[in-house]
Amino acid sequence: MSDVKAPTLDGSTRPRPVEPAVAEPAERTRRLWGLLALVTIPVLLAMAFWYAPEDANQGAAQRIFYIHVPSAWIGFLAFAVVFVASIAFLATGARRWDDLAASSAEVGVVFTSAVLITGPLWGRPVWGVYWTWDPRLTSFLMLWLIYLSYLVLRGYVPEPIRRARFSAVLGIVGFLDVPIVYLSARWWRSEHPTQFVVEGGRLPDQMLVTMLVGVVAFTFLYLYLLSVRRRVARLRAAAELEEVVR
Amino acid sequence: MSWLAPALWLARKDLRLEMKTRDVVASVGLFVLLVVVTASFAFPTGGAGREGVAAGVLWMSFLFAALLGMGRSMAIEKEDACLEGLLVSPAPREAVFLGKLLTNLGFTFAVEVVILPVFIALLQLRPGGGLWLLVLSAFLGTLGLVTVGTLFAAMAVNTRGREAILPLLVMPVSVPIMVAAVKVSQAGFAGGMGEGTLPWLLLMVGYDALFLLVALATFHHVTEE
Repeated sequence: MSDVKAPTLDGSTRPRPVEPAVAEPAERTRRLWGLLALVTIPVLLAMAFWYAPEDANQGAAQRIFYIHVPSAWIGFLAFAVVFVASIAFLATGARRWDDLAASSAEVGVVFTSAVLITGPLWGRPVWGVYWTWDPRLTSFLMLWLIYLSYLVLRGYVPEPIRRARFSAVLGIVGFLDVPIVYLSARWWRSEHPTQFVVEGGRLPDQMLVTMLVGVVAFTFLYLYLLSVRRRVARLRAAAELEEVVR
Repeated sequence: MSWLAPALWLARKDLRLEMKTRDVVASVGLFVLLVVVTASFAFPTGGAGREGVAAGVLWMSFLFAALLGMGRSMAIEKEDACLEGLLVSPAPREAVFLGKLLTNLGFTFAVEVVILPVFIALLQLRPGGGLWLLVLSAFLGTLGLVTVGTLFAAMAVNTRGREAILPLLVMPVSVPIMVAAVKVSQAGFAGGMGEGTLPWLLLMVGYDALFLLVALATFHHVTEE
C-alpha cells in the first residue's frame, strides 16, 4: 500500500531525521486518549463478565454484545468522520483533511471487521446461523465493502493530491449510499417472513450501563488509534515531500 | 454556459466513433449474450419462481455490460490525450460528464433493449403486459449504474489499476440500485406492477437523482490536474 520507500538499514544513502519538522502539539492529547482507553477497556471487560447479569435466553453468548455494539458505533462514527473530512478536503484542499479521512477510514474498517466477526459468533448459538440478511447486517457488510474499496483505491493512486481528491469523492458517495442500502435491505427482507432478529425490549440497567461504558471506552480507543494513524500520515507526507525535493 | 449543447456534441462524437469502429456495441453486446447463455446453464432457470432467477441473471449481465462499456469508453479518451483535450476545451466540466454519461447510457441501454427479447425467448418467460416495466427498470437501473460508473471511470483510468479497479469501486455502491432493479424486473417478468413495486421504482428514481447531483458537483474534482 505504501508508496514511501523504507530507509536503508545503514542509513548511509538517505540520511534523514526520523522525526519530521512538523511540530507535535497533538502528542500530549494522544497520550491522554491512549491512557483513557487503557484504563476503560479493562473496566469494560470486568463489567461485561462480572457486573452485567447473564441473559436468561441467550446465556453467556450475549456478553459479546459489549464488544459488538460499541464496535458498530465506532465503525459508523469513523465513516461519518470520513464523509465530513472528505467534504472539507474538497472545499479547502488542505492535506490534513485527507489525512484525517484516510486515518478514520482505516480505523473504521478495523472496527467494522470486529462487528462482522463478533456478530456471527453471537448469531450461531442464538439464531442457529452465522449469518442472516437482516437490514443491519447487510448494511454493515456493505459499509465494510465500500470502505475496503476506498482503501484499495488509495493504494492504487501514487500521486498524493490526486489520491486525496479521488478518495474524497468515494468517501462522499460511499457514505450517502449507506441509508439507501439500509432502506433497500429493509424492503428486500420484509418480503420474507423469516425476520428473526430479537427486538430490544427493555434492557436491565446493568446491561445498559455496561454497554454505555463500552461505547465510551471504544470512543477513547478510536480517538487514540486515529491520532496514531494521523501521525503516520503526517510522517508519510513529510517523507513524500522530501522525495519531491530530492 | 449551457451544458446541454457541448454534452450532445461529445455524445455525437462518441456515436460517430462507434459507427466507424463498432467497438463497444460489438464487444459489449456479445459479452452480454455470453453471460446470459452461460448463466442459463449455471442457474435453474425453469420451473416455479423462475421470474426471480431470471431477473437476477438479467441484472448480473447488465451490470457486467455497463462496467465493460464504461471502462472502454473512458479508456478511449485516455488514448492520445483526448481527455486532456476535452478538459482544456471551453466546455464546462459538467458538460464533459454529461456527454460521457449520455454515451454510456445510450450504448448500454441500446444493448439491453436488443438483448431483452432474446433473453425472454431463451428463458421462456411470458412478461405480457409487464414489458414496459422491464424497459423502464432497464433504463432507470442503467442510469444509476452509469451515473456512479462514469464518475468512477474518470477516476479509475487515472490510477495504476486502470479500468481494472472500476468494478471494485462501482459494485459496492450500486447494490441498492441493483436490488431495486431486480425487484422491478421480477415484477415485469411476472406480468406487471405487483404489490410493493412502486416503492422500488421510487427508490431507483431517488438513487439516480441523488447521485446525478453528487456526480455533477464532484466531477471537476476528479478531472483537475
